[in-house]
Amino acid sequence: MAGRIPSGFIKSALHNGVGRYVNQCQRITLKFCKEHGDSRGMRDFIEQELLDFTRSNPGVVMYLQPRRHRKPVIVAEYLNGYKENLYVPNYPKDEICKWVEHLRCKQGMTPMRLRKYQHTDNPSIQGIWNPFTNKDPSANVTTYPNPNVRVSAPESATDRLLKLAQELREKDN
Amino acid sequence: MIQSPNQRVLQWATFARIWWLYDAHMQCPFKSSNKIAHYLQGKHKPVYHPLSQIGDHVVVINSRHIALRDDLWRTFIFSSHTGYRRGFTQRRAWVVHEEDPTEIIRKSVYSRLPGNLLRKGHMARLHIYPDENVPPDILKNVTDQLYPILSIPKRLDQYTEEEVRNFPKLFDWPEDHKLHPGKPVERRGKKPVKASEENT
Repeated sequence: MAGRIPSGFIKSALHNGVGRYVNQCQRITLKFCKEHGDSRGMRDFIEQELLDFTRSNPGVVMYLQPRRHRKPVIVAEYLNGYKENLYVPNYPKDEICKWVEHLRCKQGMTPMRLRKYQHTDNPSIQGIWNPFTNKDPSANVTTYPNPNVRVSAPESATDRLLKLAQELREKDN
Repeated sequence: MIQSPNQRVLQWATFARIWWLYDAHMQCPFKSSNKIAHYLQGKHKPVYHPLSQIGDHVVVINSRHIALRDDLWRTFIFSSHTGYRRGFTQRRAWVVHEEDPTEIIRKSVYSRLPGNLLRKGHMARLHIYPDENVPPDILKNVTDQLYPILSIPKRLDQYTEEEVRNFPKLFDWPEDHKLHPGKPVERRGKKPVKASEENT
């Protein structure tokens, strides 16, 4: 079954954020070439943006690894052992900024098809529905067929006529 | 997921089928069958999903006393084809109803259910009885009753004599006035019945 994406349910690692928040991305390695045009954007990022990024995110370790004539790649490693390689040849600096930010915010879950887009640890306080939820308890002592189950008719022309006649008779008397 | 015995029973209760009663007395079978088909498929449940089969049972009583509007007893035609040549037959509603008083409701519910493999199972959960005589082993399962579609009008013979006498009149017929008695209707294979005999 090649190409089949595993499916699962949305969850957060160890209830992250319920008490304090721990950034799950711990290490980002930027691999690039010092002379090849592929890595132009990556070199720009390192020269202009990297120090700002490290200053604002002290929890993430940044490694730089120059390699001759190889494609530039961003490698992000997470607390649960998940590791993601993102190849960014010929990417401009702005896009690399966005991708690094994206990898920093990720939780490190294995990519999967989500079966549901919402999750709760407490599904229901009332309890799971069953056919007798919110039913009138008088049903316990009712015998069927029940003649009281009927549609109440709106006032008919006959009723209106009788009412009118009654009024007229009272007036005459 | 490992569940406690209590949770397991709650799960069974959620997907349990229950039995509804529907009184077809003076009800339009076509409008009623929309509602019946809805309940047979379980679409009234908040946990409804087309892949989970949680349709309920419906017990229809008094199917002999359904009401068709206008002239539909005569003009509504049920067609069928046996598949063989010259196998096409057409029957009027009143003929179908005379042969089997449960047939009109069954056919119209069948036509309203989606045409998939579940239809046979849904139809097996529909129990139709021509009058109020339901076998006790069926009736003991019933836990609720569906509201009818139409309000039932009061017939002339259901009014008391006093009510009829006191009904407001603009004028009285003269003593020698003869009301038109109406022509006795001749039905197939039956002698015409006089109105006075029918009432007694």
